[in-house]
Amino acid sequence: MSMQTIVQTIARTLDQEMRRDERVVVLGEDVGKRGGVFLATENLFDKYGPDRVVDTPLSEAAIIGAAVGMAVHGLRPVAEIQFADYVYPGFDQLVSQAAKLRYRSGGQFCAPMVVRMPAGGGVGGGHHHSQNPETHFVHTAGLKVVYPSTPTDTQGLLRTAIRDEDPVIFMEPKRLYRAVKEEVPDGDAAIALGEARVRREGDDVVLVSYGGSMGEVLKTAEELERQGVSAEVIDLRSLMPWDRDTVLDAVARVGRAVLVSEAPRSVGFMSEVAATISEEILDSLLAPPLRVTGFDIPYPFAYDREYLPGPNRILAAVQKALDY
Amino acid sequence: MIKGSPRFQPFSEKPISLISDSGEWTGDFELTLDEGELKRIYRDLVASRIFDERLVRLQRQGRISFVAPSSGHEGPQVAVARVVRPRQDWLYPYYRDTALVLALGVPAVEIVGQMMATRADPSRGRQMPAHPGSKELNVFTVASPIASHIAPAVGTALSMKLRGTGEVVVTTFGEGATSEGDFHAAINFAGAQGAPIVFVCQNNRYAISVGYNKQTAAENVAAKAHAYGMPGYQVDGMDPLACYFVIREAVERAREGVGPSLVEAVVYRYGPHSPADDDSRYRPPEEVEAWRKRDPLPRMRSFLERRGIWDEEQEAALRQEIDAEQRQAVKQAEASGKVPREWMFEDVFAEVPDHLLDQQDSLG
Repeated sequence: MSMQTIVQTIARTLDQEMRRDERVVVLGEDVGKRGGVFLATENLFDKYGPDRVVDTPLSEAAIIGAAVGMAVHGLRPVAEIQFADYVYPGFDQLVSQAAKLRYRSGGQFCAPMVVRMPAGGGVGGGHHHSQNPETHFVHTAGLKVVYPSTPTDTQGLLRTAIRDEDPVIFMEPKRLYRAVKEEVPDGDAAIALGEARVRREGDDVVLVSYGGSMGEVLKTAEELERQGVSAEVIDLRSLMPWDRDTVLDAVARVGRAVLVSEAPRSVGFMSEVAATISEEILDSLLAPPLRVTGFDIPYPFAYDREYLPGPNRILAAVQKALDY
Repeated sequence: MIKGSPRFQPFSEKPISLISDSGEWTGDFELTLDEGELKRIYRDLVASRIFDERLVRLQRQGRISFVAPSSGHEGPQVAVARVVRPRQDWLYPYYRDTALVLALGVPAVEIVGQMMATRADPSRGRQMPAHPGSKELNVFTVASPIASHIAPAVGTALSMKLRGTGEVVVTTFGEGATSEGDFHAAINFAGAQGAPIVFVCQNNRYAISVGYNKQTAAENVAAKAHAYGMPGYQVDGMDPLACYFVIREAVERAREGVGPSLVEAVVYRYGPHSPADDDSRYRPPEEVEAWRKRDPLPRMRSFLERRGIWDEEQEAALRQEIDAEQRQAVKQAEASGKVPREWMFEDVFAEVPDHLLDQQDSLG
């Protein structure tokens, strides 16, 4: 066990995986000598050299596209996109190549690769350093999407992602990069994709969230406890595949669900969760599933607090569900 | 060849050519290819042409839904197939590379099966016609989005370099692809890393209807190599032997770790872009006829005849043999039957996840 932040865990897990499997390579902008702008690849360059820790040209299309070709040839590339907001020049490579390769080749070729990207707001970064583009990836058949919120989950899920046979989008909540520090287990424990984690048990309402919003959601649950409301908190951790059973079981038992995501509201991931709850367990509900999300506007530089779902908006939704 | 001095100079004023339109050897070096290899090149040219004409007929008969005619492009495509080491080197082709995959050894039954979406298709009916691929022969399955295969090709070359395998990647594309951002991103990365890859551009001067001068102000495609720090060769794409020797030198250069090259083969697409295209709207028939006069097949045939190693009798026998082979392949591809519906939800991921099983069930 050792105390680690999320970003320290990423560097340590990459190191362990590169040591374990010589097929694992890291590529991206500034990942080499600089160790990544957030230091998520710190020390790897000195240990493994420029062929396995590749400082690439400033081109997301080249990074993701090359990762596809490396994976096809038998490597296990872990590509870093410096900010999720910059993935779009490489989007075609993800959507048309990485995601579709297994299917369109009839299983002849596949692209087992990880694309890491720090995402989310709350860091004063304005529009082009704060977005949550996960819905694009979930909507793309052939991609798996992971979005952990703790150092331990980051370690276990990154391991699984690197060892997975399919392309995995690994989203990292950058405002929690150094905000959360916890004892991270040693050893080789991995966490399966598609398994949610119940962070807190409760009987009055289920709060479902993932990624950067988990901090606010847990804070809200504590506040609710002070108010005499018992909230269950589920951290989805994976969005594709996602853990329908854990969510549906909890919501069916409790009858109320508040779904929190900082991504824009319309057709966001929580729309899928709400629709699934409505389709599957309508008879068990005491209130409609309610979403608390970012807004359908470009991420606003001057309004971090208003844009992100904070305790006030989550509490209001919980109250609405309780009063329904 | 690289071990000595390179035979060809990059950035030549005129396209590199080794045999004249009438089949006369004009190269300034002694031709060392043996008779068998020369005849093999010719056989591949003829087989490709007959195959392309057959696919166009099958499309008109309604037995396949689409075709990307490749007649006129055989020179560089056959050359690539002849100079790589099959099953060792990797190919990243585009959708007009039927001659390339056929000459490389992808069975005709698989190519036709792919076009018909039958069980003979190793890609299991997943893509529209003219998108072949072969794991067995290291042919990356063709994708429609233009230039999207070039960065993956570079990634494969980087993997080869990292492991020191001595393998090489050849990727092909049209001149339209050179306008895509992904082309620039990929070839730039290859240059910076000295990746073992050859970029072969088949410049037929039309991206569907848009002519070369609307595509770029660059004098030619080969010149773009300057910007990426690699040699650029412009070759007469209607001259099969010029294509062969130039691409061979580029492949050997890559194999020896010297670095990547860009080869521009100047070709012409005799047919329309696809059956849905009407090429008379954007190019005069006289232009097509003028290019047909430079056709690589009679040119190569005259070359062989001049050397006294080919005659009418061999020509007739060859055509008959190829025709019979391909007839059989079409029959087999058709007879293997349409792909079954059970395959629809497979290969999205390595294992079919629960939510896809549910969706499959909902299909009834």
